[in-house]
Amino acid sequence: MWFSFRWMEQKMMNYRRIVAAVTAFILLLGLAGCAKQEKKSVKNTSEEIVIPMILTVDPTTGKKNEQDLVEAFNQAYQGTYRLEVDWVMETEEEYRKNLKRLNVTDELPAIITDLRMLPSYYQMMIQEGRIEDLSSWINEDSEWKDMIEPTVLESCSEEDGSIYLAPISTAAFACSGVFWNQSLFEEAGIEKFPETWEAFWECCDRLQACGITPLALHTEGTAWAPMLLATAELSDTEEGAAFMKELYPETYQNESGLHLAETLKRLFRYTTNDAMHTDFDVAFTNFVSGKAAMIPNGYWMIDQIPEDFAENVRFSPFPGNKLISSPETFGWAVVSGYSDEVKEGAVTFLKFRTLFNQEEKKELLKQDGGNISQLLQDYIDAFTGDPQIVPNYQVKWNSILQEETLGLYLPDLVQGKMTEEEFVLRADESIRQYEEEQ
Amino acid sequence: MMRKWINSGIQKKYLKYMVALLMLALFLSSIGVWAYVHKNMTAVIVDKYEFMNEKMGISMDNLYKKTDEVTAECIIDDDVQKSLKTKGLEEVEKSALSKYFAYIDLDHVSEYCYVDNKKNVYTKSYSKISYEDFEKSGFAEKLGDEYAKTQWFWAKDELFGNGEEALFIGRYVRSMDYSHEPGMLFLKMDDSFLAELVEEEGNFREEIAAGIVDAQGHICMIWYPENFQLDKQAKKTIKELADSTSSGMVLNAENVKGGILSVYRQKESGMLIYTLVPDEVLSKGMNQILMVMLGIYLFVVIVAVGASIYLSRIFTRPIQKISEAMTGFDGQDFSHTIELHTNTELDQIGHSYNEMLKNIERLLEEIKNQQKELRTSELNMLISQINPHFLYNTLDTIYMLARINGEETTMKMIQALSKYLRLSLSKGKDIVTIGDELENVRSYMEIQQIRNENLFQYEIDCPEELKKRWVLKLILQPLVENSIKYGFCDIFEGGLIWISVREEDGKLVFTVFNNGTPMDQKMADRINALGTYPIAEMKECFPDKQHGYGIVNIITRLRLKYGEDVVFAYEVQEEGTKCVVQLPVDGTENDEL
Repeated sequence: MWFSFRWMEQKMMNYRRIVAAVTAFILLLGLAGCAKQEKKSVKNTSEEIVIPMILTVDPTTGKKNEQDLVEAFNQAYQGTYRLEVDWVMETEEEYRKNLKRLNVTDELPAIITDLRMLPSYYQMMIQEGRIEDLSSWINEDSEWKDMIEPTVLESCSEEDGSIYLAPISTAAFACSGVFWNQSLFEEAGIEKFPETWEAFWECCDRLQACGITPLALHTEGTAWAPMLLATAELSDTEEGAAFMKELYPETYQNESGLHLAETLKRLFRYTTNDAMHTDFDVAFTNFVSGKAAMIPNGYWMIDQIPEDFAENVRFSPFPGNKLISSPETFGWAVVSGYSDEVKEGAVTFLKFRTLFNQEEKKELLKQDGGNISQLLQDYIDAFTGDPQIVPNYQVKWNSILQEETLGLYLPDLVQGKMTEEEFVLRADESIRQYEEEQ
Repeated sequence: MMRKWINSGIQKKYLKYMVALLMLALFLSSIGVWAYVHKNMTAVIVDKYEFMNEKMGISMDNLYKKTDEVTAECIIDDDVQKSLKTKGLEEVEKSALSKYFAYIDLDHVSEYCYVDNKKNVYTKSYSKISYEDFEKSGFAEKLGDEYAKTQWFWAKDELFGNGEEALFIGRYVRSMDYSHEPGMLFLKMDDSFLAELVEEEGNFREEIAAGIVDAQGHICMIWYPENFQLDKQAKKTIKELADSTSSGMVLNAENVKGGILSVYRQKESGMLIYTLVPDEVLSKGMNQILMVMLGIYLFVVIVAVGASIYLSRIFTRPIQKISEAMTGFDGQDFSHTIELHTNTELDQIGHSYNEMLKNIERLLEEIKNQQKELRTSELNMLISQINPHFLYNTLDTIYMLARINGEETTMKMIQALSKYLRLSLSKGKDIVTIGDELENVRSYMEIQQIRNENLFQYEIDCPEELKKRWVLKLILQPLVENSIKYGFCDIFEGGLIWISVREEDGKLVFTVFNNGTPMDQKMADRINALGTYPIAEMKECFPDKQHGYGIVNIITRLRLKYGEDVVFAYEVQEEGTKCVVQLPVDGTENDEL
């Protein structure tokens, strides 16, 4: 939960300077090129077409998420389209709940985000024809299609080739790895982040032996932090990697499921006492206050780390050179039920967003080896270091498992109140429940 | 009474035109005022009800919003959502959910019915509606293709059973997480639900009509004043608006047959709420204003007429006074002068009248005196004419005696006297020939030569043709007399009197010159200035009557006879005094003939 919240809402904050440069560039490029062509297609429209949308305001910084993108679009298409954003001060959970509510009350805006973070909701929206299939738009627009990395496009495509989530250009900003405290590692005599899982467990033992809590974890939400580590570890084997690629696994009562349960149980041996029944924010606070040496999370967390603490923080891929990424979670959908003009404007904006993201990536990679922070350099190194990309469990597994089962039974598992077998049995029950509703 | 106040022609005319102008002004202004007031009054009334209409429309918007929110709360309720899941609800939960809808935050719900996607019906406990009843009612079709919007519809109540028309609020209830068949929620609303929209605006129904119409154009509720009927055209207009897709005030104070119509269309439900202000309401207000206006105008007319009479009297009274004085003047009584103190030009007129009166009186007196003198002179002449033959016979006898006695001088004097008298009398005529006039003065001079031996010589210079011309008699004799009397007062001999008659530019010019003592220049100036005085005042220039009497007499007679163009002037010269008399005529005509 925390992952996607931070990812979606604060991604743009990480590189304000980059964004500023990109915005300027996009304004020039967009107006001269792609944007200009798009404007021509709606030139006969005498009045500005308003495209409604809802975005969140960061509760900690008060910054409007995606504001730069929205302003750049509105400026580039001034007089033709205007993205009218309702900025809401809501947590990620509230926002997603609100999306569901807006759907059943038929009040959704023209563009919605976070859809892929709600698997069953996403499927329902497709089945009930509530969102537009964008495949014809993208496939017929080679310029747009060429902006999108193949893996990103693939992740956003359904099996039948339809595309309901307008993709961003790159997965460069979508990867999760491990943030680690260099000072604490040095204190334990560890010079670098472990590259294998054996080394990882040894590292944990060594830190613990030195009186340092190795991991910052939690159990609430979708158990984001422990699940990142556990699914990354599971992917270290071929069988595990294949399991992680499965959409809606039929059962967790298998080797992979049991291994995952064991890993989860093992991870919680190395965490803080307050990890039970708490959410990611507690784990994050433990890490940035130096109480824990490691926390798994994505690129977007770089900007959230306090400046005076950031110098000690490093980023590495999961052991076995793995990064967890599902770019489709950043795909935004166009809601059906709006006029063709509005939908066309929404698609134009989504294309603009892809271009914006592409330029963002170029700016980021341009800084590789330059005068940038060690943490950012670590991230660039990890992303460009040919990592194994592990799919995000949030987009692969059913909603009941994520939103109910994990939060309910994970504490029992790690506290020994439940065996691994019982845990995977509960996981399978979520599958049955989910299937019942289909 | 009115005659007492209006007794002047000027005043009557003034009042007539003033009243006409005033009436015209009031008529025109009343048209203007009426038009303006009517426009504004209509605007005020229409604005008032248009505003009220819009307010009711906005209240309807809020009502819709409220129903939308309340039904949304129902949809996202955990139990409602659970009822849509495959497993559905336990019996206990179903019972609880049936009661849940009774406590929703919406007033005027008379009945409710929720049907989940498993054919379970949730209603009030006494309703006993089965799924078959629900299917039969046809309410499921009322929601149409909408995904989940709140829908208002006006329909016969075939669901809850009484068959009466009512407002229903319906909505699909969809699962928030899964693609399941939707449930359906229906709320039946009391009439007061919509009626409150109108009734909250107060008791206006005695004045205007209002109504609520559904999206299909069916009239749901109406509020009309007594004896009011909605015109067909208005109904048609409302029906057309029901088919439109606009929202808000879709008709702003439009004139339709029977009144002014305003309509608000509620966007989501498509329902209309209208007000119609009947023409009677508009004219009712105007009639009151018109009555007040007429009252004011009547007051203005009365005040204006009264003020005009009063003010006009300020001017007409002195005019009347002048008029009365003039018409009442009998030519005898000059004591009726006018006293005016109006501080206007009328005072000057009164003053001039008084002056004129004085002049007339003086002239009249003058004429009387002259007539008196004339009568005296004529009487004397008559007396002298009574026995002219006796006088002439007597003079002839004396002449004969003088001749017998050889008294040449006596003979000569008698002869001259006889000639002088004959010419002076001239049978009572005023006009004589210049020859006779010269003969007369010659006789006089000869008499004076006998009386004053060697005192003077005389010469008369007159062309023969002029002697036949005509002239006022006795002009020259007084001048010669003055020459002898004053010019020769200081000499005993050597005097010369030279008389000349000429015609210059068609005018007769008589000149009498004497070489005696020159006349005093001041006296000459005074005489020469006589021509500038009015005839009546000339005598006053010589009040002592010792001097100038003869001169004044000549000038008076000349001016009376020949007018003001007579020239009479003394010229004081070193060697004597010259008197020139120029007449404005050439004497060719005897105007006494």
